[in-house]
Amino acid sequence: MARPPLTDDELIARYGPHLNEAPPGGWNAGIEVDRVVKTHCCFCGQQCGIKLKVHDNAVVGFEPWYEFPFNEGKLCPKGVKRYLQGSHPDRLLHPMERDPAAPGGFRQTSWDHALERVVAEIRRIQAEHGDDAFAMLSGVSLTNEKSYLVGKFARLALHTANLDYNGRFCMVSAGTGNKKALGIDRAPNPWSDIPLADVVWVAGANVAETFPITTSYIWRARDRGAKLIVQDPRVVPLARTADLFLPVRPGTDSALFGAVLHVLIERGWLDHEFIDAHTVGFDEAAAAVADMTPAWAADITGVPAARIEEAAEWWGTAATGMMLHARGIEQHTKGVDNVLAAINLGLATGKFGKPGCGVSTITGQGNGQGGREHGHKCDQLPGNRDISNPDHRAAVAAVWGCDEADIPGKGMPAEEIIEAIHDGRIKGLLSICFNPLVSAPDANFTREALDKLEFYTVIDFFLSESAQHADVVLPGSLHEEDEGTSTSGEGRIIKINAAVTPPGEARRDWEILVDIARRLGKGDLFSYANTEQIFDELCRASHGGTADYTGATWQRIEDEMGLFWPIPEPGHPGTPRLHEGGRFAHPDGKARFHPVPFKPSAEVVDDDYPLLLTTGRVVSQYLSGTQTRRIAALVAQYPRPLCEMHPRLADTIGVVDGDLVTVTSRRGSMTLPAHVVTTIRPDTVFIPYHWPGAQAANQLTNRAVDPLAKMPEFKVTAVRVERAGGRGATTDTRDLGLHEASS
Amino acid sequence: MKTGQFGIDDTPVFVIDQSRCIGCEACVQACAECGTHRGQSLIHLERVDRAASTQTAPMVCMHCEDPTCAQVCPADAIKQTEEGIVQSALKPRCIGCSNCVLACPFGVPKYVAEFDQMMKCDMCTDRTAEGLTPMCASVCPSEALWYGTIEQFRDTRRGTLFRDFLFGRQQVRTKVYTVIDDALAGPLDVLADGRRSWLDDPFGLEETVPR
Amino acid sequence: MNRLDRRGLTWGAVGVAVVIALTFIGSDQLVWFDAALVGYLFGVVFAVFGVAYRYAVWLRRPPTAMLNRRGWDAFRQRKARNAAALPSLVATQLLAQGFIRRRSRARWIAHQLVFWGCILAGLVTIPLTLGLLHFESVGQQADHYQVYVSRVGTLKFDAESIVGWFMFHALDVAAVLVLGGVFIFLRRRLRDPGALAVERSGDFLALAGLFAVSVSGLFLTVSSMWLEGRFYSALNTLHALTVILGLMYLPFGKLFHIFQRPGNLGVAYYKQANADGPAAVCRRCGDTFASAQQISDLKDVLPQVGFDYSIDGGGNYQDTCPRCRRAQVTLAQSARVGGFG
Repeated sequence: MARPPLTDDELIARYGPHLNEAPPGGWNAGIEVDRVVKTHCCFCGQQCGIKLKVHDNAVVGFEPWYEFPFNEGKLCPKGVKRYLQGSHPDRLLHPMERDPAAPGGFRQTSWDHALERVVAEIRRIQAEHGDDAFAMLSGVSLTNEKSYLVGKFARLALHTANLDYNGRFCMVSAGTGNKKALGIDRAPNPWSDIPLADVVWVAGANVAETFPITTSYIWRARDRGAKLIVQDPRVVPLARTADLFLPVRPGTDSALFGAVLHVLIERGWLDHEFIDAHTVGFDEAAAAVADMTPAWAADITGVPAARIEEAAEWWGTAATGMMLHARGIEQHTKGVDNVLAAINLGLATGKFGKPGCGVSTITGQGNGQGGREHGHKCDQLPGNRDISNPDHRAAVAAVWGCDEADIPGKGMPAEEIIEAIHDGRIKGLLSICFNPLVSAPDANFTREALDKLEFYTVIDFFLSESAQHADVVLPGSLHEEDEGTSTSGEGRIIKINAAVTPPGEARRDWEILVDIARRLGKGDLFSYANTEQIFDELCRASHGGTADYTGATWQRIEDEMGLFWPIPEPGHPGTPRLHEGGRFAHPDGKARFHPVPFKPSAEVVDDDYPLLLTTGRVVSQYLSGTQTRRIAALVAQYPRPLCEMHPRLADTIGVVDGDLVTVTSRRGSMTLPAHVVTTIRPDTVFIPYHWPGAQAANQLTNRAVDPLAKMPEFKVTAVRVERAGGRGATTDTRDLGLHEASS
Repeated sequence: MKTGQFGIDDTPVFVIDQSRCIGCEACVQACAECGTHRGQSLIHLERVDRAASTQTAPMVCMHCEDPTCAQVCPADAIKQTEEGIVQSALKPRCIGCSNCVLACPFGVPKYVAEFDQMMKCDMCTDRTAEGLTPMCASVCPSEALWYGTIEQFRDTRRGTLFRDFLFGRQQVRTKVYTVIDDALAGPLDVLADGRRSWLDDPFGLEETVPR
Repeated sequence: MNRLDRRGLTWGAVGVAVVIALTFIGSDQLVWFDAALVGYLFGVVFAVFGVAYRYAVWLRRPPTAMLNRRGWDAFRQRKARNAAALPSLVATQLLAQGFIRRRSRARWIAHQLVFWGCILAGLVTIPLTLGLLHFESVGQQADHYQVYVSRVGTLKFDAESIVGWFMFHALDVAAVLVLGGVFIFLRRRLRDPGALAVERSGDFLALAGLFAVSVSGLFLTVSSMWLEGRFYSALNTLHALTVILGLMYLPFGKLFHIFQRPGNLGVAYYKQANADGPAAVCRRCGDTFASAQQISDLKDVLPQVGFDYSIDGGGNYQDTCPRCRRAQVTLAQSARVGGFG
């Protein structure tokens, strides 16, 4: 049973998170720099260019990379301090095995012993319970090369169908919706289109905190006179300056979009020429919104009808417009519906395939775009191919040099894998770059599942909360310790360069996977001398798929500061803007409208759970916090979760700012300080999810998933909130030096 | 950015448009990476009133043409360069009295108790001397902090560059610019009341601001 | 020359008179005055005049005058306690210089080396120059000496002993200390791009001066001990020149901070008294933020240096806490650029 060997406190004392305060040698060391490495930030799908300063095989600082066109030197606080994840006291330096008797609960071991044990356990479990009883979970902080390799490794070396990735909790609704409506899963526009839009509509995206650099693109549009619409249950920082704010109740975005389509149709703000020439299914979509009047939607969404009509007018009458959406509309049991409803608005007004026009998801994770293209997902093969399609299977088998029949079929998505572990159908797990204990919904259930594993091995650079459950821990590589490519949220393939080599006995992730494959007897399928060879194979495997990298080379990517796929042949310039000339990626070249009737969320409020909880991120933390909770300056910005609530709600439960409250859902409860602010709907509370254990917002969230995308409903949980007694801290006391002016 | 193609004055200027700040603290984090005061952030960023708004107030040194801080320094420790940069206190001279901290109309200098010294933003002299953009303006995701030529600003941004402030009866002209829409309305009166907007009632609870 | 400060001139003149009187009396009416050192005496006189003049001018700047007055007020307010605290304040603030150590250990070591080196050198050179101090041999023993302060004989020592060695090489020790400090400073400046960027020409000049004085002094010892006095007179002139120039530079350059630094003690008393007194209350947020005394003093000083922060209709902007100042600038600006905020 894969239980942590010691208590949380004991594990934290040994493996952290400890806080890295200063670069190697301290702040006063003076900066001596051997070389400066151009690479990218590892935190979030914007993939900002950054230069890392290196001294004595350690990253000692950063310098803005002004020439990289996407961010021109700009960075968010995570990017500025990213370099402090290196030279970290918590860094895993040796392979380890669980041993409750050993100090720290893990015993150092050799690579040979660790990997032989991993291979023996894989063989034992697969022999006893079938190949699919050993699963793999991966993540999209990995490069394209590693993501591709993981897909191939799971199918051919592990020979399991059950591989999935943490993008399942992030971008997958958008990907599914894009494929259904547009035939391709990529943001339709380069970000340089945003400044060309006359209306920018940000739906369910806290841009200022989760994609800070996008703020500058939006301002460039506004400097040209564009109007900004923000749709969010909270007055997020960007909303403060919006021209129109749509304070939507969590879980009702499709009602809002439906009502806007209703108004567009009613007022004739449609691009009939575009609809007729380039789309199918408009009538069905129109029929579905026939009754969705602004007054009806106002009731459901909480957005005043006049604001809905104004949004429709701005969107419908503007010559150009961009809608940017993110997890706010996507992490729902109707996440795909929401995305389809958003795309309907773009198709109805002809806002695709032209400068300054598009409906685009903002990809969240570092390589969220590239990582979801090359066979990382349970139903997918490289080039964003379908693992159930015989032609697609044959094409990939030819590149892999295997029999098509050797490629397993469609496996379970991430949340189902966790459920299958919980009910005993899956016995063994290899995970890399995934911390489900913090990031998956219903954390108590996830913990029970991990505890039940017969064998669990983790490749990671820090001992994440999930890794604490592992039988064998394999020290992998940090972002700056390996090279490769990633693909940013705008579909730009970029080059990640290694700044340092892995410390101690740690190895590059791909070398570990290749070593396991070799020990499983599949070495001939994984004979790579370096990372670039993996990329070249990836490009060949993607040839003919929708995510076509055929013409990409590392050299070109560096020389041209990134390449936008598809790049269907060598020398092709790449494709910054998709759907130009109204050509969509479905075989008939047309986009699909989809009728989107309004459905309630999996949980709605009732007398026992009368409030809505929505979860999300803060600017100083990234995902499950494995990296960012170890950097002192970032932790200081937002040290612990707070429960944001409106003063009206605070009054009814009798608390003031800083009072502890207990938030309870059908699955769990947690106690944390109330942060009383007028910037959130009075019927909604917000808790950021970056922390583990008793501080985990995901103790409360719901495992219900979208029927198509299998995305859990992180954004809507029915809860009740009660006064807990006691006080916590909410006030930021860091910049009060002035009050000590005379002390 | 350094040499003028057509002989126009293309000395870069620093611009702070507080209204665009998203409070991300990239500037705060980057400031502490500056070579002249590593580990010590000198830029300010406050939540104006978090209970009511997400608005944040960033503040760099505005580099007054006649700096109040220098005039009230008993040790004569605050000097202005020929370019008009008001420098951090001369370390040997500063006696840590905090007069500058308290008198600066923009609330810029910090008293660092550990060093018994005043420290303040010097517009990254180490970077600008080499033609580089100051740290905070390099990273600022919303371009609330911006560094470039006046020409570039006019070409790409709306609003007017402005640098006259009024604090009670005291008018102050600064080297650093801010941005306003109505330059003809006179100096930026810091004590003027803000306007009301939809933000007073974002969720339509009071219906005082119909939308 | 009508811009010369009359009070400064007076202070300078008094300083010079004191030095001359000291020399005359201390050297027993010039009996023990060493004419070879007259150049040094000139340097000392010049330095004393310059420092006194500049000090007087400095003290008349309104903020300095205010702090000077308040510092003494604060001292007198609780004389016994403050006098008792003085030794430890001098030790920590002026001698041990912990505030520099907390900034950087290397910088502190360098500063301490230069500081103690200069103190040692001053303690030897100035009394010798003024003729306050001289050595006489004791009886018939060629290698036994006695230190005389003016006419009074004090310590006797054997030139071959450790004390004797130190007596004759005190200036060499001082030079080595100073050089050690200068090298650490230079190394920091050359290796740390940050330090280089804020480099001021005066910084290098001061280091170069200290270097020249120390090295030329050491060469004198080298010449007399190992070169049988070759080049001695040329080196002697060179050394004298560097020292005299150094003394003359004292009132103008970076090293004037030596005389300003004791103001730090006044600040310490002022802060202590202020902490015991009432706090200022911010006119906007109502929080306390500083000492009411210091804010009131600033409001007195500001008009003297040409500022008027009073508000039409009453009140003074200076009663706003720094945090609220920053917030108000942002609010006012946001209101005039689109009205959001």
